[in-house]
Amino acid sequence: MLTSAIIKVRDTLIVSVQEDLGDEDALDLQAALTQQLERTPVNGVLIDLSLVHVIDSFLGRTLNDLAVGVRLLGARAVVVGMQPAVAITLVELGLELRRIQTALTVERGLDLLARSTNHRL
Amino acid sequence: MNENDTPTIEQQRATIAELETPVIQVWEGVLALPLIGSLDTARAQNMNERLLERIVETGSEIVILDITGVPVVDTAVARHLLETVSAARLLGAEVLLVGLGSRTAMTLVQLGLDLQGVTTRITMAKGLELAFQKLGLEVTSKTTRAVDGTEG
Amino acid sequence: MSNTERHLPIAGERDIVLARQVARSWAQELGFGAIDASRIATAVSELTRNVVRYATGGRGEVTIREVKSPEGRKGLEIEVSDEGPGIEDIELVLRDGYTTGQGMGLGLPGTRRLMDETHIESALGRGTTVTVRKWKA
Repeated sequence: MLTSAIIKVRDTLIVSVQEDLGDEDALDLQAALTQQLERTPVNGVLIDLSLVHVIDSFLGRTLNDLAVGVRLLGARAVVVGMQPAVAITLVELGLELRRIQTALTVERGLDLLARSTNHRL
Repeated sequence: MNENDTPTIEQQRATIAELETPVIQVWEGVLALPLIGSLDTARAQNMNERLLERIVETGSEIVILDITGVPVVDTAVARHLLETVSAARLLGAEVLLVGLGSRTAMTLVQLGLDLQGVTTRITMAKGLELAFQKLGLEVTSKTTRAVDGTEG
Repeated sequence: MSNTERHLPIAGERDIVLARQVARSWAQELGFGAIDASRIATAVSELTRNVVRYATGGRGEVTIREVKSPEGRKGLEIEVSDEGPGIEDIELVLRDGYTTGQGMGLGLPGTRRLMDETHIESALGRGTTVTVRKWKA
């Protein structure tokens, strides 16, 4: 049951992840985003993590898988707003999430996605 | 009475930590971190914590981490530096490592640590140059503009 | 007077979220910084997930308690236990990169890095208890 809304803003799907995402919720989010991407093809998917206080190995891997899935569907995923405490914890856990692009804010994330689209055309 | 003007041990520790590894905003969007002395786990953790917070506070996308003043770069130190790079990246900032001397470079090569994925430059100046490039900025000398004899 | 210990049953996925929420707020209440609170919450998440995924019936228990070191430091201790099947080779599961074949490790090496102390007690057929501790700086 998805509690986070997916919004389409120009050529990007934006979702602000609610804190306290359980494992099932994370998988639901993954499915919802990829399905939405299939229905309304866009160039970018932006995931806002500014509300998330804990990202463990499951959520970390789910985000990574999501980025790979989005890539396969011809779009790019960008994660923004990760909290410092979360970033440090993830790195100590040994998860670097290399497949995900990151940006400091929603704005920069949108810029980043716009730039990579330009490069591809 | 005395409690109000004497800083607590924790406050003192925080001050020392800040003085040890200052995070300086050298330009809009660029932070510099000159590291002096050895880097153990406690110091690395403290450094990462403050650096990441400054990244968010200032909205800086580029961090120049200067390790000229780090005497020994071994496997443990290299790992700490890589963690800093990874953590900053997760936030959306890029860390440029500068001040890696030739001796350190060869030590890392021998240890099998090629710091893949980390951008490095020899000096802070070179690091700044790259930072400006990435930000789409250019530094030009005023005198070159007076080519036709007029003042710049 | 003060509630220094709390038991939470683990029976399903929702309990993973609850356990880490409790751990995180308790850590903050005790005065742990944001990062240590995140480390503690994440470790709790990993350990309780192990119970849900691998323990018999997906059931177990997590106990969070305040502890004090001989030197007087305050800390938080989390004990996660289940009744089976038990870990055959503890050395193996503590090794980085170990997976159970479903592409997911038990998160124990990561947990060990996040916490100050990690103790694992396990016996085949009897169950496993993982105890972790984090001390305030």
